[in-house]
Amino acid sequence: MSRKTVVIGVMGSPRRHGNTEQLLDAFLDGAGEAGGTIEKIVLSKLTYSSCRGCNVCHKTGVCILEDDISETFSRLLDADCIVISSPIYTMGITTELKGFIDRAHYLWVRHLLHKSDPLPPDKKRLHRGYFLSTAGMNRDDVFITPIPMMQAFFNIFGFSYCENILAKDMDGYGGITGNPEIIQLAHQTGKDAVEGILAKKPCKS
Amino acid sequence: MGIRVLAIATSPRRHGNSEQLLDWVLSPMVGESDTIVQKIELADADINPCRGCNACEKLNRCVIRDGMDILHDQIIEADAIILAAPIYCMSICAQAKALVDRAQVFRSRKYVLKLPVVPPERRGKRFGLFISTAGQDWDYVFDAAIPVIKCFFHVIEVKNKDMSYLMINGVDEKGAVQQHPTAKEEAIKTGQNMLILLRERLTQ
Repeated sequence: MSRKTVVIGVMGSPRRHGNTEQLLDAFLDGAGEAGGTIEKIVLSKLTYSSCRGCNVCHKTGVCILEDDISETFSRLLDADCIVISSPIYTMGITTELKGFIDRAHYLWVRHLLHKSDPLPPDKKRLHRGYFLSTAGMNRDDVFITPIPMMQAFFNIFGFSYCENILAKDMDGYGGITGNPEIIQLAHQTGKDAVEGILAKKPCKS
Repeated sequence: MGIRVLAIATSPRRHGNSEQLLDWVLSPMVGESDTIVQKIELADADINPCRGCNACEKLNRCVIRDGMDILHDQIIEADAIILAAPIYCMSICAQAKALVDRAQVFRSRKYVLKLPVVPPERRGKRFGLFISTAGQDWDYVFDAAIPVIKCFFHVIEVKNKDMSYLMINGVDEKGAVQQHPTAKEEAIKTGQNMLILLRERLTQ
């Protein structure tokens, strides 16, 4: 029996159906066309608070906050492909997404302090992580700050950080629909992701 | 008229490393007869995230009614704004990001509505200081925080040349900064220098 290829998109914009979500939907549509089972997690619908920095997890490996986070993280850890998405606000990811990834601290603790990898290394190579972002501004450096955050996040989750799909100058294009090439790229990348996973091909050698 | 210093401690952990650095920086200013220091603990300030509605581009104010109503005015009235934030997952903690994103109303005022953000007498005279701590000892651990902070300072009318940084890494557990060989000295010196600069500039 073959297992489903699960692709989960995390929608980090507080605005529904805006540029970021449309780009994410294109990726997920592509993934679905290639045979993936797609899910979308809209952060604004979840109940969670930001990390409190209490460091209790340094001893226990468990977060003291009881909300939607641990179940959501379990779903992500079980997925084959995670797509994180956020618009750029003030040169960074949204507060919603930052609050979400900050909560992964207890998984980092398990990974690094307790030496228990969330995923075995052979599995990690086939687990794909992507980052999608949109920005109003047309600066070349507008996406520089999320990259290290995503590196840390995918590393914590034991996923390969495969690719970014970055759509800047949304103000200039008058929104994402003004740049059909980038929507097509997201669609194709979603398709390629699932085909790669099915072919047991790592995105990076 | 007195010098107004607005200090914002954004860490969810009270009296931790970034707040300790902030307190050391403020120590030479507190009690000076010409200086008013206001310290805000963000955990108690009720600041919600920006909703991305862009209404501020038309209304010149935010549609969210919360602690930002007060903090907005305090930011405008300050001669120096000091923001202290720990690094979580390679950038400022989510609590600090919420505050920074709510500065969108200033960005709309400045770039879209082309209205003044601060009164003419404060324009080009304000100082900004970013204080940060990180558990990791990598020297690049602050790199993804700085562009965010610069963007925040720009929209609240602090010029590049008037921004400064006090960043200490390799401090994780609460109180670790107390054991740091130079942090306390650096922080007090930063506070002293800032006060000298403020006095020079505001008596010009």
